[in-house]
Amino acid sequence: MARILIVDDDTDLLEGQRLFLEKQGYTVQTALSIEEGLARARESAPDMIIADLMMEHYDSGFVFCKKVRELPGLEKVPIVMQTAAPRKMGFTFDASVSPGREWMKVDEVLTKPVPLEHLLGKIEQYLSSKSRHE
Amino acid sequence: MNESGPAVRPLPGAPLTAASIAGLDREPIRVLVIDAEEGMREGLRRILQKRGCIVRSAVTGESALRLLAESPCEVALVPLSMPGMEGSALTEQIIRRFGGRTVVVITSARASVEAAVEVTRQGAFDFLVRPSSPENLICVVERAAQQGRMVREREKYLSELAGERNLSHQMINSMHEGVVVLNIRREPVFMNPRAEHFLGTHFRDGMSLPDLFPDMDTAAAIEAVIDSAPDHPECRVVQLSGGERRLQGSISPLLREGEAGGAIVILSDVTETWKAEQDKNRFISMVAHELKSPLSAIINYLNVILTGMFDDNPAKVREMLERCKIRGEALLDLVRDLLYINSREVGKVERTIEPLDLKLVIASQLEFFKVQADKRRICFQLEAPSGPCVVKADRGDLDRIFMNLISNGIKYNREKGSLTVRITEAGPAWEIAVADTGIGMSDAEQAGIFQEFYRVKNHKTSGITGTGLGLATVRRVLAGYNGGAVVQSRPDAGSTFTVTFPRES
Repeated sequence: MARILIVDDDTDLLEGQRLFLEKQGYTVQTALSIEEGLARARESAPDMIIADLMMEHYDSGFVFCKKVRELPGLEKVPIVMQTAAPRKMGFTFDASVSPGREWMKVDEVLTKPVPLEHLLGKIEQYLSSKSRHE
Repeated sequence: MNESGPAVRPLPGAPLTAASIAGLDREPIRVLVIDAEEGMREGLRRILQKRGCIVRSAVTGESALRLLAESPCEVALVPLSMPGMEGSALTEQIIRRFGGRTVVVITSARASVEAAVEVTRQGAFDFLVRPSSPENLICVVERAAQQGRMVREREKYLSELAGERNLSHQMINSMHEGVVVLNIRREPVFMNPRAEHFLGTHFRDGMSLPDLFPDMDTAAAIEAVIDSAPDHPECRVVQLSGGERRLQGSISPLLREGEAGGAIVILSDVTETWKAEQDKNRFISMVAHELKSPLSAIINYLNVILTGMFDDNPAKVREMLERCKIRGEALLDLVRDLLYINSREVGKVERTIEPLDLKLVIASQLEFFKVQADKRRICFQLEAPSGPCVVKADRGDLDRIFMNLISNGIKYNREKGSLTVRITEAGPAWEIAVADTGIGMSDAEQAGIFQEFYRVKNHKTSGITGTGLGLATVRRVLAGYNGGAVVQSRPDAGSTFTVTFPRES
């Protein structure tokens, strides 16, 4: 079954999403910081990553994504970012256009709270397109 | 020449009379009559006095100069030739010493008209051929007086003008705003020192618009103002950066006799307001983020519960609901803290400054937190000098400071730890150290500890709720009392927050 890594500094959010996704049959790993997230990613090479944006720093999520992409085998792993940050905060997060996507190194940015069905839909979408490419 | 005077244009609305031209309707003309012959002197005096002039007379050039020095006359009637000093020499002296206020008219016999004309070349205003009709005499004297008054008024006007120009110059140069003037060809023609300072360049001839305003938007706005129709002049306000500064430029058209003549740019330093605005925006973004995070966690749990996937596991459901409650309560705390900060900022919190004993204030706070501490079996200690530790403060402010520090000392402590509050005298201040034996912080984690919404996030803190505003509030409140707060901490050993507060003796 597909392995999903969720990185977020909010324990409760991690717990809720973990419980839900595990019930859907996914193997879920969680990490509270980008260091921990990178360690998990390195060990277990997840099929997909869901990452928060504002953790220790306001741009921790971007730093994390950049570093994940440098890990062998994870250059193309689907990454969906979820953030409670307002859409415009000095810069606009828009991964739907390619310059933004290349700069942010994420496939999509979702705004919290992300409804569970929506999250599940995104996961299925990215995993199926990933398996098609492989 | 004495019969056809210089053309004088009437002032609009004022009828032209000899008196009004000469200003005689304002005050009488003072005339000095110089002549060696008494008959001549008296004859002239009579005619002039009859026409309202104030007349003095002198027999010699020397006495004439003495009289002029004593009291000024507007017109001096100087004979071309006289015993002792010649008329031309006297004229020269009068012009040299009293030229600003006395006009010379040469009187001469018809035979020596040519010599008289020569003297007018040397500075006499006019000449009068004797014998002359009383009307002619009056006419020449009035014209001379008018000439003198015109010369004086012109000088006064010129000196006022120079003074005003000097004043405008000083005003423009001492302005806090930068002033740049551009002509219709978009060439900078003037910059005051402030503008040079703001734009980091010195004015020189031949500068171009982009030399001063490399920013395209500003240059375009200036051009639009210069090109705007004079009957519908356009004004623009732009923001631009000047080095570290944020400048606001107000651009208005420069009109010359109703025609477009260029633009005036007034530059003001809006760095402070701009920074405050940036800070405010950042704060609002942070608030939005901090409000949405707990709500996201709560909604997420509720959604999981609502899927029904844990209906067979009531303990798990209960666990999730417990966390919803805790996060909901933390959210409420955050809203309360935000409202408190806001009401403090706008000065709505009523404060009573009175002498208070820190020992009593802290003891009652410790008492309040006892239940919470007992749950985690944390013991309190209060160490203080034997006498009262008096400060002048508002009770609510002190409560807020120590409530935050003691609450943190419990939340971030370990089970069965201890929390020590130690009051010591440190010169003109009290030092209050609140020391816990808890999880502590690394140096990096301590760095932003007093900033709004900063929270140390790691495995050890992951279940602990907080608003991220507690220590920021402590610092803000202390700043109002010239107090301060510092932190010392080691991971897994504990943190000590030390507050300094001015003593009241």
